[in-house]
Amino acid sequence: MELEREEILSAIYHCVKCKLCSISSFHPNEEWLPLCPSGQFYGYQAFYAPGRLEIFREILEGELSEPTEGLLKAVYACTLCGACYEKCKQITSVGISLPELFEKQREELVKKGWALDAHKNIAEKIKETRNAYGEKHKYKYEAKSVYGAEVLYYIGCTARYRVPEIADAMLEIFDKLGIKYQVMEDEWCCGSVLLRTGRVEDAKALMAHNVEEIKNSGAKTVVFTCPGCLMTFKKNYPDMAVELVHSTQFLTRLGDMKVKKLGMEVAYHDPCHLGRDLGIYEEPRALLKEVADVKELKREREQAWCCGSGGGVKSAYDDFALWSAGERIKEAKEVGAEAIVSACPFCKRNLREAGEKEEMKVFDVVELVNRSLEG
Amino acid sequence: MNMNQNFLKFVHAIVGEENATDDRAICASYSRDQHWHFVPAMNPAYVVRPANKEEVRKVLMLANEGKIPVIPYSTGINVRGLTIPVHEGSILLDLSRMNRIVEINPEMKTATVEPGVTFGMLLEKTRKYQLRPAFPDAPLTVSVLANYYLRGIYQTAAADGHDHTLSYEMVLPNGETIKTGSRSLSGMPYFRYGVGPDFTGVFCAHPGTCGVVTELTAKLYRLYDNRNVYFIGFDDVSTPTKFIYNLMHDELAASIRLVDNQSWLKGICGTFDYRYEELPKFVLCMLVEGVDGIFEAKDKLVGDYIKESGGKVLEFPEEFKRTFEEESLGGAEKSCMVFGLRGNYHCIGLYGPLTLAAKYYELHEKTALEVGIPTDHVHFYLDPIYSFHGQLCYVELDIFYDGSDLRFGEKLRNYNEKQFKRLLDLGIYGWFRPYAGIIEPTVARIGYLAEVWKKFLKVLDPNAIMNRGKLF
Ligand SMILES: Cc1cc2nc3c(=O)[nH]c(=O)nc-3n(C[C@H](O)[C@H](O)[C@H](O)COP(=O)(O)OP(=O)(O)OC[C@H]3O[C@@H](n4cnc5c(N)ncnc54)[C@H](O)[C@@H]3O)c2cc1C
Ligand code: SF4
Ligand code: SF4
Repeated sequence: MELEREEILSAIYHCVKCKLCSISSFHPNEEWLPLCPSGQFYGYQAFYAPGRLEIFREILEGELSEPTEGLLKAVYACTLCGACYEKCKQITSVGISLPELFEKQREELVKKGWALDAHKNIAEKIKETRNAYGEKHKYKYEAKSVYGAEVLYYIGCTARYRVPEIADAMLEIFDKLGIKYQVMEDEWCCGSVLLRTGRVEDAKALMAHNVEEIKNSGAKTVVFTCPGCLMTFKKNYPDMAVELVHSTQFLTRLGDMKVKKLGMEVAYHDPCHLGRDLGIYEEPRALLKEVADVKELKREREQAWCCGSGGGVKSAYDDFALWSAGERIKEAKEVGAEAIVSACPFCKRNLREAGEKEEMKVFDVVELVNRSLEG
Repeated sequence: MNMNQNFLKFVHAIVGEENATDDRAICASYSRDQHWHFVPAMNPAYVVRPANKEEVRKVLMLANEGKIPVIPYSTGINVRGLTIPVHEGSILLDLSRMNRIVEINPEMKTATVEPGVTFGMLLEKTRKYQLRPAFPDAPLTVSVLANYYLRGIYQTAAADGHDHTLSYEMVLPNGETIKTGSRSLSGMPYFRYGVGPDFTGVFCAHPGTCGVVTELTAKLYRLYDNRNVYFIGFDDVSTPTKFIYNLMHDELAASIRLVDNQSWLKGICGTFDYRYEELPKFVLCMLVEGVDGIFEAKDKLVGDYIKESGGKVLEFPEEFKRTFEEESLGGAEKSCMVFGLRGNYHCIGLYGPLTLAAKYYELHEKTALEVGIPTDHVHFYLDPIYSFHGQLCYVELDIFYDGSDLRFGEKLRNYNEKQFKRLLDLGIYGWFRPYAGIIEPTVARIGYLAEVWKKFLKVLDPNAIMNRGKLF
């Protein structure tokens, strides 16, 4: 722990407060495009990466000994989108990733009992129902799950309970393509929301359960439509000797799926966990190009603007989450897109909510693929 | 209840509750900058974020009444600890909400900006007129107003010269507003010397110790389509001096930077990944530009001078040239890569004649060695400045080091103490800018001027609320 503390402090000392992490690369297009949603929304230095790091330093050095309103907000109103780090690492070669530091910061706070009620509530709900939304019913799906199939679809809480059209689409795709698959009889939350909000201990039982279920399922490949779940399985779970892939990876490698173009002009929004965390940029684009005309957004790939819902922000600071999504929708409108397409149920949910006012349609890649599949 | 206790209540009434706070954590986020080995971390007691001049004025008057120190802050990237409080109970006046580009006037070749406007924001708007601001080699996230008001250095395009500020308006602690240059006489803020003495210059280069500048008008410069870039290698600092003199005397190159092959060159080229160690120890990076006809003529003369320079023309990849152009004429972004070398950077920046360049470097190496700084941490940067009277150059004596190494901080403090004195003995024109640490040995040498300077500040700010402790 002592060494860890030193490592964290060393990373903090390497931040030189240049604030280049607050904008996307200026050259060669010479456009001023903000990159950090929380800084842009709240304004104080505390909401930009360099300010958060100073707060962390003062916590570690014992200078901040009260969970003030500002402290909680500065620490938890960050989507952990990692855009800051993509920029910082190009320039200053700081070793530890900034979202990783910010997760550690939350862990420190939780240890002190300085947590948000919104996050405590989620933890309670998960304890009770094993899903992040506290839903007592099971997600009902039409398609056929075959026990022992090599492919297992891990649906995730958000696609089960808030944007079921994504799960439905994925299952229909399997059926249309004649792929045998199974879903978990007793799927528990992957633990992502707990880990991202500093509640590492609470996540352990969930992980143990899912590992056991997957091991027993006989599956060789686990497919995810949720990049947050996939990232959590890859980063936080023990090795289960199964392949973990995102839906867009799974589908692109199938080759020609005989899809037809839908005649839509869409913008692709890179989900943070899928892009920056897992480096998956090409597959969703490749799939989407098969079914629609794709317009690139100004801030894309490593420097994509976050939809605003990650890192426990949606549950705690919905006004900020919706503002961030609204900014993304404006960007999609600017490039003339009629719909914004993502590859993450979390993004879809937040963008859809923000898009209602803006009259922007929002889809997941698998929804469009499903529509365009001759079934 | 006294003023200090009620301050937040009053200030909320001025700027709104969400724009002023005494929350310890929010204040902590302003507590330290890159210069922390010299200026220790300290939290302001309040952070206040005004939206306009009137709010600034009211907050200043309130602070003045309560004799509460005020630290103006535009973007906080000054690398000298200039916005880190010295006194308990200070107000950090974060001006970043005031980010309007008030006017871009392509006919007059000027821009008028508020404190929160950064170089990136400004260029985005000026380039459509084929105009650009004069850029410092600071990240383009820094405030145009704060940089010009501090009288920064603009080595990215030395041809721009040194003075880019035409006029500004500044709010004083007593609530009065001073307008400088032609701004004081008319609605035309485009001329610097409007009313006798150069008041624009007199208040400039003060680290927030006079008042708060709320609007500033600056010169813009032309962007040319014709450009050519050269990188020329030299084994020492003195060999290229004749070449530099020729370029400056004939006014041939827009940007001329002499750097060593291990530090700034990496930012200029935009990558850490190249065989820099195989290059000659010093590299002169140069950019020629101009309108048709003149450009070709300049470029030919430059070619002739290169032949007789004693240097070696280096064949770099095209993208290095592109990055150098972008960084020189479009704002510095990659220059921050110097922080990636070891994690932090220390420099003494000074103005002096080209004739002393090799001596400055010699002294740099000598003092560093004496205090135990390894030679491979010692770096150099020289940039001549038009119109080159006095063979004016900006010289930077750099040390790149691991910022988390506390013992290295101690070495750097020793280095500074010796080196400030030695450089003053050797002879300099001036420092990069005045700041605590460098100002003390300097003031001791300027005689009665120091008294006059202090009295002048006392008139503007009798209660010494303006960034107290950052100058005298
Ligand atoms: C990698 C790197 C390279 C750099 N290279 C250069 C360079 O080549 N040339 C150069 O000039 N600088 C350089 N700098 C230094 C610095 O970033 C700039 O000089 C910068 O413009 C000043 O910082 P700022 O704009 O963030 O102002 P701040 O840090 O906000 O303020 C700086 C000072 O001005 C005062 N101040 C701020 N706003 C006001 C106001 N409205 N009214 C009155 N006083 C005010 C503050 O109190 C403080 O004392 C470099 C910095 C970095 C990180
Ligand atoms: S880019 Fe990196 S070093 Fe610069 S302010 Fe951001 S976090 Fe700090
Ligand atoms: S992770 Fe995202 S929201 Fe958080 S500081 Fe970095 S850029 Fe801002």
